[in-house]
Amino acid sequence: MRIIIYIFFLIFSLFYFVYAQLNIVATYPWIGDIVKQIGKEKINIHIIGKGTENPHYVVPKPSHIAQLRKADLLIIQGASIEVGFLQALINQSNNPKIQPGKKGFLDLSNFVQLIEKPENVSRAMGDIHPEGNPHYNLDPNNFPPLATIISQKMIELDSDNKEFYQKNMEEFLSKWEEKLKHWNQEFSKLSNTNVIQYHPTYNYFLKRYGIVQVGTIEPLPGIPPTPKHIEQLITLCQNKKISFIINSVYYEKNSCEYLAKKIGAKFVILPHDVGSLPEVKDIFNLFDKILETLSPK
Amino acid sequence: MKLISKFFYTFIFISLILSISNSQIQDTINENKEDQNWTDRTLEIRDKYEDKLRSYPVFNQKAFLPNISIITDFSYLNYNIDPDSSLIVPGFIVDTSLKDKGFNFNYNELSFYSSVDPYFDLYVTIPFEEDEVEVEEAYAVTRSLPSGLQLKIGKFRSSFGRLNSQHEHVWDFATSPLVYELLLSEEGLNEKGVQLNWVPATNFYLFTGIEILQGENELSFGTNKLLINTNINNTGQEIVIKSPTKPNLLVSFIKTSFDIGNTSILTGLSFANGESRFNSIEDNNFAFSGKTKMLNFELTAKHFIGSYKYISFQGEYIKRTQKGTEFEYDDMGDLLVNQYNSSQAGYYAQIVYRFDKRWKVGIQHNQIAENTIKINGESKILPSNLSSNYFVIEYNPTEFSRIRLQYGTKNHLFSDFERKKINEFIIQFNFAIGSHKTHPF
Repeated sequence: MRIIIYIFFLIFSLFYFVYAQLNIVATYPWIGDIVKQIGKEKINIHIIGKGTENPHYVVPKPSHIAQLRKADLLIIQGASIEVGFLQALINQSNNPKIQPGKKGFLDLSNFVQLIEKPENVSRAMGDIHPEGNPHYNLDPNNFPPLATIISQKMIELDSDNKEFYQKNMEEFLSKWEEKLKHWNQEFSKLSNTNVIQYHPTYNYFLKRYGIVQVGTIEPLPGIPPTPKHIEQLITLCQNKKISFIINSVYYEKNSCEYLAKKIGAKFVILPHDVGSLPEVKDIFNLFDKILETLSPK
Repeated sequence: MKLISKFFYTFIFISLILSISNSQIQDTINENKEDQNWTDRTLEIRDKYEDKLRSYPVFNQKAFLPNISIITDFSYLNYNIDPDSSLIVPGFIVDTSLKDKGFNFNYNELSFYSSVDPYFDLYVTIPFEEDEVEVEEAYAVTRSLPSGLQLKIGKFRSSFGRLNSQHEHVWDFATSPLVYELLLSEEGLNEKGVQLNWVPATNFYLFTGIEILQGENELSFGTNKLLINTNINNTGQEIVIKSPTKPNLLVSFIKTSFDIGNTSILTGLSFANGESRFNSIEDNNFAFSGKTKMLNFELTAKHFIGSYKYISFQGEYIKRTQKGTEFEYDDMGDLLVNQYNSSQAGYYAQIVYRFDKRWKVGIQHNQIAENTIKINGESKILPSNLSSNYFVIEYNPTEFSRIRLQYGTKNHLFSDFERKKINEFIIQFNFAIGSHKTHPF
């Protein structure tokens, strides 16, 4: 029987060849999209999470291990959002290059100002993150510094293509800055609008543009709503004009629809990442779609 | 064992005290500095003087505490036969004593994990039972071997099969499958040794490796020498069968996984090969010395529907063949030494449906598919159709707590040559605190 295994070893060593391109694994589609804009055809990208999935609950499929094994660079969102699936995948990848602390490991949460960092943490408070709110990818102003960091890392690992990455990064930044002016201008019109969201996913976005969150449908982060909590929300909203009830694709919709009807608010589903809705094909579409959904028609 | 538990209690106690006292001292120092006017010499001097009486936060090591988690498992159990019935499983010599009816404290599992240095990570799992403690796992894995190689050193659950390498709190059912119980015991193949595994840089997942293990599994392997008297009353000669060369067990495995749309398939083959020394001559009039070979085929197919929902099929087939010498006493109390050949196999197959973020249901069928024992070339007559079935429904308020109801019918136990059908009902509670563990696939 053991001979069979030795034969397997032999066969698969034949498959074992070095890739000329830089192999990058990103945990979420929005990170992957920045990488694609900078690396274009010079890189191979594998994205672990799907746009339609709850970013907190990505399944650690063994097929991701195969991709991590070949990776030169792993880019993560950080702030404990990947805590449920990433550690085991990294450990089982047997790839020393992408271990935390090594050159091929990049935690983007180190390069943004995280908000809502709790002073004390307890699981009695629901699914809270000791580092702060991890959904920082929903503020478009965070993208330029992150794109710069990612391109620097790619240049560090693949200096032969330095000019190529540099040029793409600059192109991306100027395109983004142009869009950002438009977004900042349009989103600022929403300032002081009252909203209710399902989970504190959009807090970076709300905070940036002065949109007021009156409450969340979840009583605590990660804890599904109870009838009592919904009743409390209704009482809370009695004398307020709530414009939107915001949800993401992966949560249940019934309580949002019920509440929207009760308080006369508009129920909308906002994209939270690239690929969450069919029309959100890249990070530009992500904010265009949010703008389109929240703009008065 | 008691020493180990004492050591850990003391360690936790001391580290708690240290971390609390140090943080308090740190706070008072900070406060002092804020209040202090830098021109006030007396305060400055007093501060310096008092520094000498304090423990220096410079030596505070709490940042290096490993990740710690505790998982507590508690259950209520009921079944429809007398708990003191003497039961056997024909063809298998296993502990069939039933758990207490009513409340059972199953385990309180303490686990630690941290990087040792740039080269190793260390994992330690210590389940505390109500009146005993053991080190279930304590192993280091390498962090930086080249070419996709990894070395595991210490005591660990073997990668033989699928459930064997998982901790029981991630299993989908409250009990271990029948084939595991009969061939590998409830602890599974959990041994001291080394594992070398390899993940090649292929486009699909491939995981293969070999393990050299001590081979102390109580049912299928063994390293103790056999001491058997030729007479049941110890009046005859003492026969000694020497211990096998140690380490005694070699395990090899190969596993692969690929995705078809939203369905992930994981499958693999494992082999175990070692010497066996089994002595139950006093209790069951059976002792065995010889060679054991085992094979495991595993298959998991998991179809994901959205972020939380999935339907999964999981199954394992395990076959054991043993060849060697069997010892038993005849009716006169004289020792018989026989040639022994056995081929025993079984499987479990389960379907689990997670239909909501918090809810899961599942069914599991267990079957012994082959039960052949030849003594001096003659087959023993053994009843067929040893099986059991389980149904489970599970509610998870969060990923840290679980309430599970399990109903089972067992069809494999016999008492006085008569099959005893047992219906069993379990309510299981499982709680986890501390560092967040990665979800299993």
